[in-house]
Amino acid sequence: MSVKTALAEIPRTIWTSIFRHSLPSSELGQAQTSFTNFFLHIHPVKVNRHTLKATYTLGLGLFSFFLFVILTVTGVLLMFYYVPSTTQAYDRMLDLRGSVAFGTFLRNMHRWSAHGMVIAVFLHMCRVFLTGSYKRPREFNWVIGVILLLLTLFGSFTGYLLPWDQLAFWAITVGTAIAGYAPVVGAKMQFLLLGDTTVGQEALLRFYVLHVVVIPLAITLLVAIHFWRIRKDGGLSRPAEADLAPGTEAVSVQVVAAPVELKPAEGKQAFGLMGLVRGPFTKVGNTPENTVYSWPNLLMAELFVFILTVAVLLVISLMFHAPLEEPVNAMHPPNPAKAPWYFLGLQELVSYSAFWGGVGIPGIEVALLMMVPYLDRKPGGVGRWFAKERLLANTLFVTFAVLNVILIIIGTLFRGPNWEFVSPW
Amino acid sequence: MRLALAIASLVVLLVHGIVFYDQFFHKWERYQNAYFDQARTQARNEEERADLAARSPRIEQIMVTQFGETRVDRCTTCHIASDDPRFAGLGQPLKTHPYSTAMGDVQVSGKWERRHKFNDFGCTVCHEGQGRGLSDHYAHGEDHYWPDPLLGYVTQEPWRKDYLKNLKGKEYMQAACAQCHTEENFAGTPLVARGRQLFFENNCYGCHRIEGISDGTLGPELTEAGKKFKVDYLWESIADPRAGMASSFMPKFQLSDGDIKALVIFLKSRRGINLTETQLSQFRTRLRPATVVEPAPAAANVDLIGRGKQLVQDRACAACHKLGDKDGAIAPDLSFEGLMKDDQWVMDHFKNPRSRMPDSIMPGFRFSDVDFQAMTAYLVSLKTAPAGATPAETYKALCQRCHGEKGDGLGPVATYIDPAPRDLTKVAFMNSKPRERFLESLRKGVAGTSMPAWEKVLNDTQIDALLAHVETAFTKDKRRPLKARNIAAQNPVPASKESIARGEAIYLARCTGCHGRKADGKGPNSLDIVPRPRNLRNSPFVASISDQRLIESILYGIQGTAMPPWVDYGLSQKEAGDLAHFIRSLTQASARPQLRAGR
Repeated sequence: MSVKTALAEIPRTIWTSIFRHSLPSSELGQAQTSFTNFFLHIHPVKVNRHTLKATYTLGLGLFSFFLFVILTVTGVLLMFYYVPSTTQAYDRMLDLRGSVAFGTFLRNMHRWSAHGMVIAVFLHMCRVFLTGSYKRPREFNWVIGVILLLLTLFGSFTGYLLPWDQLAFWAITVGTAIAGYAPVVGAKMQFLLLGDTTVGQEALLRFYVLHVVVIPLAITLLVAIHFWRIRKDGGLSRPAEADLAPGTEAVSVQVVAAPVELKPAEGKQAFGLMGLVRGPFTKVGNTPENTVYSWPNLLMAELFVFILTVAVLLVISLMFHAPLEEPVNAMHPPNPAKAPWYFLGLQELVSYSAFWGGVGIPGIEVALLMMVPYLDRKPGGVGRWFAKERLLANTLFVTFAVLNVILIIIGTLFRGPNWEFVSPW
Repeated sequence: MRLALAIASLVVLLVHGIVFYDQFFHKWERYQNAYFDQARTQARNEEERADLAARSPRIEQIMVTQFGETRVDRCTTCHIASDDPRFAGLGQPLKTHPYSTAMGDVQVSGKWERRHKFNDFGCTVCHEGQGRGLSDHYAHGEDHYWPDPLLGYVTQEPWRKDYLKNLKGKEYMQAACAQCHTEENFAGTPLVARGRQLFFENNCYGCHRIEGISDGTLGPELTEAGKKFKVDYLWESIADPRAGMASSFMPKFQLSDGDIKALVIFLKSRRGINLTETQLSQFRTRLRPATVVEPAPAAANVDLIGRGKQLVQDRACAACHKLGDKDGAIAPDLSFEGLMKDDQWVMDHFKNPRSRMPDSIMPGFRFSDVDFQAMTAYLVSLKTAPAGATPAETYKALCQRCHGEKGDGLGPVATYIDPAPRDLTKVAFMNSKPRERFLESLRKGVAGTSMPAWEKVLNDTQIDALLAHVETAFTKDKRRPLKARNIAAQNPVPASKESIARGEAIYLARCTGCHGRKADGKGPNSLDIVPRPRNLRNSPFVASISDQRLIESILYGIQGTAMPPWVDYGLSQKEAGDLAHFIRSLTQASARPQLRAGR
């Protein structure tokens, strides 16, 4: 081979060394792409048509994930300018607004995607519940999801303090006070969180470390497990008939997933690793099935959700500025001092009873949410919105969700000085 | 799908375009380019022109470290010509900062030299505003979250519209000058000096504390008022104290707009720190007791009453008290003080109001003895009472201010008076005491309370008629015969240390819930009780009543109040006697520290 051809082939060699093969032109290629690319290997080679229905998932899980990605990127950029010090933090905010290139926009994006993520994760949870998707074998993935919701809230909450303005300071003062209402451990928990009895330098540093290291890492890890389990559980939930090839009749045979019996490998008894994979495994294209290739179908759907997320976020960030109120004045609380909006439902409850609002009811709510798949074990109604069989469960859940939303709306819009009822109009 | 993708991508691109445009075409760049262009045309030589041509827009900033916290002032990014004398005729932002001899600027061989060099002082030390901001909205402090808008130039959106015209004017900057120029009569800050004078003339210092100047405790501390409050809040608090907080009892002083402005500027100059002071001298200031303005003592044989009258007027007593036709609606009527109080009482009360009225909120003003004597002489000379023709008119003239139009003890000044005026509509109370006792209270007053002795104002017939009026107009119930009560004329227990100790034990077990552990009437239940539980440390009051009455009140309760008849709860005559000894021991012990304070 001449040197000339070797040189000419360098781009192609580099391409194949990275991507192993060129853009897919055959079904084999489409399969290979999903299989061999690190970033794409989370995808199955083929994906059920039902999974791609926008009206089924509403893309909410992906919205949440992409918002998290945007948060990570903008967050890292903000970290270049931020100093978690009570004397400098606010000045850094002013610099971000005044003289850092794209500073305001960066902060707006970070702020609004944080709020957006809280909403998206909550709606995603509603979607999963209302389609009955937490049922066997996806019980534990639901639990991970609930933990991710809590982490999202906590991540947003810890970030709330960092601008070190009046809004941040008093929201965190109120928020941590709510934590302090827990019996026995409340005061200790509050102290652990603040590193002091009041919100100050120690609290700022703690919240910063939690916000930029601990929580993002925990979320990343749990999201990875969340996604991995989706694959291992056979993709997104769907009704049984969605697995049938189009045009075939549903067979009235009860499909009972026969548990694969695992025997301990003693002596010469051995088992193939494939024996651990759940469900029927077939060669691609061997049986009639209702699937399409992930490349490009799933990828396009994902790309669309991503672009939509970015577009909506950019427009919002252009129109609304992230708030920056007065510098902290620990002697001058605003009236009313309000927690971040997603905790205002709790604050509203706290205004009736410190223990029940701050600890009792949220504790029971979280415990119930986590226990949902273990309490509701009746099969059926999976993969359809508002399935008739699940009328009771869905009604209970919608009531719970609407109640929480109403409480948040009351706390946000209808509460004025001294937490008295005011009309927002 | 592809169309939607394309549209979304287009939106993303569009927003990027807008953001980038915003980012790279700043207003301040246009200002700087305009400056370079103008300066080039005025440049004297080629070298200067080349220099200017080589300059490109950039963020200018001055870091100031000498004055308090480090300041970063980027004002000169827009106001780039502020130190270039050739731009004196231009409009903002490309205008030369004026030179002024009053500011200490000097002309050396035709060239001005500033006393306050921008490189040393920056801009916000004097002008305030937000040094780090680069858009006029934020930099000038128009954003209503920013605590320090440009002093005297910028008003913020939520400020009260009717005050706006008063809140502008460069004289407000005197407040900033006074951060360093703290001398009381510094020529550059006449309004700060005037405000300070008004602060004393209007007795503000009696209620408000400013470190090193005054130590009143009744109102909020103002040591850092200039740092905490914006000028609109300060203006409102002086001009209309109850506008911001309905529960405020600060009097509305009759001040002209000019005087209010001077006070606002004086208060705005109170930042809690003096920028020129070292930490050591700050500490020394804190240790130093507040200096008192004592006017020079007058010669002995001047017209005491005339001088006293002048003083009472100058010192704004009527801002709280009623005096003639002026009524501050907070404190008692002084219009005929001479008929109700004697020299000694007024003098003692001046020096320490709480020596005569243990729960009075009147501040102890620190005037000189001579002034107090003159004011006392004037007050006790007031001996003309507005006697009403009918009992109803008498009630209106003399009683209504405290006891209220309806006799319910809710007159306009009642909130500020402790113990509160009696609710005359409470039948249970009015019928549980003999009529003689009410007559006695009217004649002699009630010691330790704001109820004065009326015997010199009204004669016995008038007093009797007044009581009859109260009974028919407010109590509206026929007097019933009193129930016989088994009370010994003398305390059944001889006074002794043991008796006091027993009384204390009973007190702690039964009484603290309302009367409080300190027996000051502020127990945990007291907040929900009207009338408030009696302050048992009110020595003039306790001294004025007999053991017999104490024991009766304990055993049989006080009808129409929360005080229960303890005889129903198994309290014996002897135990009530012990309690009476204990209650007396409280005021005898607390009499000493009060005397000390009164000296």
